[in-house]
Parts: sequence; C-alpha cells; structure tokens
Amino acid sequence: MQQLLNGIFIGSIYALFAIGFTLVFGILDRLNLAHPAVFAASAFVGIELVERGGLSLWAALPIVFVFGAVLGLLIERLAFRPLKGRADAHFAGLISSIALAGMVIALLQWRYGPDTRRFPAGSFPDTRYEVAGAQVTLVQVVILGVSLALMVGLTYMVTRSRLGRGMRAVAENPTAARVLGVNVDRITAVTFAISSALGAVAGVLFAINVNTAQLGMGSAIELKGLAVIIVGGMGSLPGALIGGLVLGLAEVFAVQYIGSSWRDVIAFGLLFVILLLRPQGLLGARKVREV
Amino acid sequence: MLLEYATPLTFIALGAIFAYSFYAVLIAGQLSLGQAGFASVAAFSAAALAPSGNDVGEVPALLIAVAIGMTLGALAAVVLGLPTMHLRGVFLAIATLGFAEAVRVVLLNSEWTGGAQGLAVPRILTVGMAWIALAVVAYWFWRMGRSRYGRALEAIREDELAARSMGIDVGRHRLAAFVTAGAVAGLYGVLFAYYVRLIAPGDFDFAAAVEGLVTAVVGGSTMFLGPLLGSGFQTMIPELQRAVGVEAGWIRPFLASLLLLVVILFLPGGLASLLPRRTRLPAASGDGNGAGDGNRPSHLAARRHPAAGETVVTLVGLGKEYGGVHAVRDVDLEVRSGEVVGLIGPNGAGKTTLVNMISGLVPPSSGRATVLGVPVGRTPVHKVAAAGVSRTFQHSKLFNRLSALENVLVGAHLVSRPTFLRRLLWLPSARRDEQAALEQAARCLHRVGLADAAGTRASALSYGDQRRLEIARALASEPSLLILDEPAAGMNHVEASTLSALIRSLAADGLTILFIEHNVGMVLETCTRVVVLNFGEVIASGTPQDIASDPAVIEAYLGTEDDEPVTGSVAEGTLADPTGGSAEVMAADSVANVRPGAADTLEPPDTTPRNAS
Repeated sequence: MQQLLNGIFIGSIYALFAIGFTLVFGILDRLNLAHPAVFAASAFVGIELVERGGLSLWAALPIVFVFGAVLGLLIERLAFRPLKGRADAHFAGLISSIALAGMVIALLQWRYGPDTRRFPAGSFPDTRYEVAGAQVTLVQVVILGVSLALMVGLTYMVTRSRLGRGMRAVAENPTAARVLGVNVDRITAVTFAISSALGAVAGVLFAINVNTAQLGMGSAIELKGLAVIIVGGMGSLPGALIGGLVLGLAEVFAVQYIGSSWRDVIAFGLLFVILLLRPQGLLGARKVREV
Repeated sequence: MLLEYATPLTFIALGAIFAYSFYAVLIAGQLSLGQAGFASVAAFSAAALAPSGNDVGEVPALLIAVAIGMTLGALAAVVLGLPTMHLRGVFLAIATLGFAEAVRVVLLNSEWTGGAQGLAVPRILTVGMAWIALAVVAYWFWRMGRSRYGRALEAIREDELAARSMGIDVGRHRLAAFVTAGAVAGLYGVLFAYYVRLIAPGDFDFAAAVEGLVTAVVGGSTMFLGPLLGSGFQTMIPELQRAVGVEAGWIRPFLASLLLLVVILFLPGGLASLLPRRTRLPAASGDGNGAGDGNRPSHLAARRHPAAGETVVTLVGLGKEYGGVHAVRDVDLEVRSGEVVGLIGPNGAGKTTLVNMISGLVPPSSGRATVLGVPVGRTPVHKVAAAGVSRTFQHSKLFNRLSALENVLVGAHLVSRPTFLRRLLWLPSARRDEQAALEQAARCLHRVGLADAAGTRASALSYGDQRRLEIARALASEPSLLILDEPAAGMNHVEASTLSALIRSLAADGLTILFIEHNVGMVLETCTRVVVLNFGEVIASGTPQDIASDPAVIEAYLGTEDDEPVTGSVAEGTLADPTGGSAEVMAADSVANVRPGAADTLEPPDTTPRNAS
C-alpha cells in the first residue's frame, strides 16, 4: 500500500512534467528539449524564493508558475520561432532547444553553483496521515492535489475555452487556422508558456518531494518524460497522465521486487514494447499519414 | 608542435567518426539516438574479447578489436533495426534511445564490464591512427554521395512514398543505412576505448548520444564533410576559450551553447553550407539534345515492355471501402498496351483511389487487379514499380531539396545500375554507368522542356514546372505503364495543349498511359479511350466520340432536368488516402439515378496468356 501511494505521488509529478512535453508536441509537432532545463531552473528558483524570500511553499508555487511561463515564451521566441518554415525545422528545433537548455543550465550554475541545494529546514509542515496502514505526509497530498488540479484545468481549457479551440485548430492544420483568423503565432507562444509553466511546477514539486535540486535533475527526468509521452500516446493529455502514473508505479515496484539498479530497464522495456505493439501509444490516435 | 595538439586533434577525429554514425541515418531522414548503445556494446565486447597487445602486437590487437566492434555494432543495429523499421521521426528516436539506455543499464549491472568502475583498456590509438580511421569513414560517405545508393537514401529522406513509387525498396535501404550507422558507431566505441584507457557505461549515455547528434547537425547532415566540420567546431570551442583565457565554470558551457544556437538558427544547412556545393549538370554530350529518343545509352539496365495490344492492366470486380463508404466499387477494366486511357468523373468519383490501387499504394478491399503480370495489393509498391508502372501524384511529390536533375536521376533508379561499391574502388565502369544515368535524366528533362532548369532545386520551380518535372521523373524509369494524376491541373490552355502533345508523342513511342484529368476537352483530344467514373463505379467507357454523347456521362456531369443529383458528400476527410487525393465520396444512396450497367461497353476479359516480349 505504501509503495502504491509512493508510486502515485512520483507518477503524478512525471505526469505533470510529461503533459508539458506532450502539449507542445501534440499541438505544434515539435519536441522541446529545453523543457527539462525549465524543470531544473524552477526547482532552484523555488528553493531561493523559500530560502531568501522567506515565502511559504504555497506562495512560491504560483510565482514559479509565472516564472516558467516567461521561460516558455523565451524558448519559443529564441529557439523555435526563427525556424518557422524551414525544411529541417524538425531536427533544427531539437538542436536549438538543446542549445538553449545548455544556456539555461550554465546560468543556473553561475547563480547557484554546481552543488546540490535543499529547502531550508522547517519549510515543510509535519502533518501526517495514515491511509489504510500507509504513511502519507501533507506535502505528498499537496503534490498530488496540485498536479491533478493543473491537469484537470488544462484539459478543461483545451476542450472548452476559445484559446483551447484555437490550439486544437492549430494542431489540426496551422495554415487553415491562420486563414480562418486564428492568430497562430500567439497560440504557439501561449502553448509554450503553459507547457513550461507546468514543467516549472513539476520541477518545484519534485524538489519538494526529494528535498534536493541538482543541475542534472532535468536530464534525469527527460528520458522518463519521453517514455511517458510515448507510452501514453504522443500529444494525448490523458495519455500522459496515465503514462506518468504507470511509470511511477512500475518504478516503485521494480525497486521493491527486482532491485534499484534495474529500475530504468523496466521503464525502457515498457517503452520499447509499447512502441512495437502500439506505436501510437495507449491513448494516442493513429495519425493518418499526411502526404 | 603537432604533439601539443595531439589530444584535441584525436578528439576531433573521434567526435567526427561518432557524428558520421548519425550522419549515416540522417542522410536517409532517420533520427536515431541508439548509436551510443551500439558504441558501448562494441567497446566493451572488443575490450573483453580482443587479444592483448603484448601477444600479437599493438596494431594487430587494435585491428582485431575494431573488426569485433564493427561487426557487433552492425549486428546490434540489425537487432534493433528490424523491429523498429516501421517507426518514423521522433518515435524512432525515442525507441532507439530506449534501447541505448537499456544497454547502458545492463552493462552497468554486469560483472564482466566492471560495472560502474568500468573496464581498463590499454592506450594504443595515436592521433595518426584516429585520423586514418576518420579518413576511411569520410571516404566511404564521400563516394556514397553520388552513387545510386546515396541518391536513393536522399530520396527516402525527402519523400518516402515517392521514393517507393520510383522502385526504391525503402525498407532495405533504411536498414542498410541503420547497419552502416551501427558499424561506424562500433568503430567509434572501440577507438574511444583504446584511447581513454578506462571505459564506463556512463561514457555512452544519453548526453553522449545528444552530443553526437548535435555534432552531425551543426556540421550539416546533408553533406559528407559536415560531421568533420561539426566535430572541429564542438571540440575547438572549449579549447579556444581556454586559449583566450575564458574562465572555467559557467561561462564556457554558456558560450558554447550560445554559439550552437547561433549556428543552427543562421546556417540552415549547418557549417557545411558555408562550403560551395557543385551542382551537377549533364555533360552536353553527343546527342546534341535532339529529339531525345532513339539513342538510349547502352549502360542502362534493359527493360522489357509488353508488345502492342497485350493486356497491361486487368481489373476484375475491384472495390475499395473505407469504413462502409465505397470509394470504388466493382470496377472491371482492361487496358492494353499502347492505349491512352483517360479517367474522368466528378470530384470524389474514386479516380485517385482507383489509380492508387493500380499502382499498388492502396490495397483493394474486394476484387483483384493484375498489372503487368503482378497481382497488386499483395505486392509492395516498389515491386509494382519494378514491373514497369510509373506515376505522378495529384499533389506534386517531388524531392524538394534535390535539384531537378537529381529528381529525375532518382526516377532512373530502376534502369541504372548500383554504383556505390564500384565508386569506392574508382572503377571506370561506375563512371560510365553514372554518365549513362545522367544522360538518361537529361533526355527526360529535355523531353518535358525543362533542360534549362536542371540545376534548380525542385522546390524553387513554378507549379507548372513541378508538374512537368514529375512527369520527367516518371519517364526516367522507362515504364511500360505511365499513370498521371491530374497532370494539367493549374495549367493554362497553351500549357495543357503542349502537355497533350507530349502525352500523344509518348504513346507513339509505345507507352501505355492512364491519366486522370478534369480538363475534359484535353482528355477527349488526347485519349484513345475514355472511362467515366461516378460514385466509384464505371458509368461509361468508350472512344472520346461515344463518351461525348453518352447520356449517362452528361447526366453525371450536369444532372438531368427533372432529377437533380444530390451533391452532398459524406464528409470522410479522415480517409487514409496516401496521395492526399480528394477522398470524399458521394452518398451511396444518391447513386440511384445512374445506370451502373453502362459499363457493358467494356470488352470481355482477355484470357490469352501474357508472354513477355
């Protein structure tokens, strides 16, 4: 039971991170490899807000959300918009976002140094609950709650709001959307902002969960995020949620029954099997080849 | 002097070799990140299996290790390549990345690799050896560039479906590219191991794979010098920063990333795009660009064509259904060699679906079709093309980043001979074969009136020129059956009548032609026979004169006075139509006012055996 809950908590963070990833991919057909850098940067910024700013954890979260959104706008403007209309935009977007990620990480090193950082002692409330014989901390409940609330909010926005309709129109056919008066550039920028804001919150929650932030934390979760969006189905928001939870649970149980050193083989074995059997992912729609 | 720079120079060579393993698949449009896995399999196996330098001498020991590493790298690529061949783009990248990570974790947990501590390997590699190895790899890709094989890979990168229709076996070519990548990555792994003295699984992680990909793309993934330039760039930037006294810490990675961003944003073709690229033009040889036919170069592979009057296409009860919507139903049709058959009908009548079935792109859901002796539907597209079917597409599917001439050269894939291995050895016969293919391509370009545009990128041509280039490309394979899907779309009267003259002259050469066209006047003046489709069924077939006066046809196009046909269409925009043709199909019940029996003007099926001439 304890393991199940732990798997759900870590899985919800994976899901939140992966949803940001898959949002950009699903709508703009681009893989933004600067997303993990946002994840790491927001963890450091979150710690600084609590440590120096003296804010409580809960006040820091919305600020980090905004910080992530701003980073997302920068990523779109610097790494993706200049590539518009290029034949090799797909490869070039990967590389330019990797380059931007490198710059972000270098700046983090400049401001925070290469060492691991933690939240100051006493930032977490000690409240604990007992659920069916398992220990659950208030922090974990909040992680789950924030993740679920953001995911539900995002899904509602994409399916119901005018902005979400614009996003889906751009995903379907950018040219047609532009002709029909959708401001494609604005939709693109907003998509990046939302995606990065979610990645930023995921970063802080992750840092809270393990109480550390490291420069390399983004690359560690990057692979998992990729696995999650494949398992769930590229571009599928509920798919990313389920994929994240599946991965979180698989990892926790792999550590318990097989050994921690084999944990990542489980994740990638799962990924591989899904790709071979169901390349569109668990919930992804098979995209008709557009030729 | 040189010794002082031995370390960076060796790393430039190693980085370039690794980047070539990415280049090997990028050139075919595949994005793979599995190379780090291939390299680590090769490095650890070779280090464990190869004899020690003390027993056999250092250089032989290294050579044996290289042989082991390249073989295992290639084998690993086959093992990974076969199940992932159907994946494309990012999916392939992530699957191969998953493989590399799995390899890393397995090696990390194995006894024989020393786990996280790693494996000690003697240093044998010198800077000279590294550059010799690099030279061999670069030579390989240089000679590949202008061979038939290299062109086929580029064609696959630009448009896979069009490449298939040109007779290129895409699966085999992609696998070959993948295996090359595996062997080169294996070479890198072994050389790296024999230089750094201690290898750990962590040396071949995700970051290493990304580094290799970045190097290849920054250098330029469409030109063989690209990986070398990229590696020089990536290796020298930290060195230069150190030389000019930039402090270590955050500034160095920041500047390196910034430069990377600048290069990728402002040099679309990578660093290699700074180098001038020679465009290949056909040599103005002997034939004086005359009428073009008759003097076929003797170095082209021979093709057999059916004799005039023989059956080329036989369709029996052919149908295609998309989720309950009949795009084509119960079509019987026979086309004989030398005929020019026009296929007309209103939008959504099923014309494109029908020719897609004939050219093997779409499998029929009922009935059977035999084209040039091949049962289509069960035959891969490239085999249908090899039987002598060549086609153009409703929406041009050119190889956009290749020149017009190169597009047509790819079209000549089936009639030219493989030249890559002979080019590696500089055999004069390879040169002659390439020359013959060039002449063939130049002749086809000339025939459609595009001789002057040979060096122009396909994407830079005007719309009408692109349509004509597609015809030239289709002609280059010397097909027996040429299928044109709306060749005159977007052309004005003058251009359309030139096209009509071209089609008739091709027919005069003995080519069988099936073409879809909305310009009914052009169809009537060009064809020997016209077939009219409506709602997926043949409603009339006969000479142009018969068709022009057939009441069923007039009704289908104009409607009758007392019974307006329903024009609403079932909105089935999601139909899988690989050519992007209009897939909407008229509502099945509105077909009531059309006589399907009009198809009885067809000749009875020909049962005489088809003997190759």
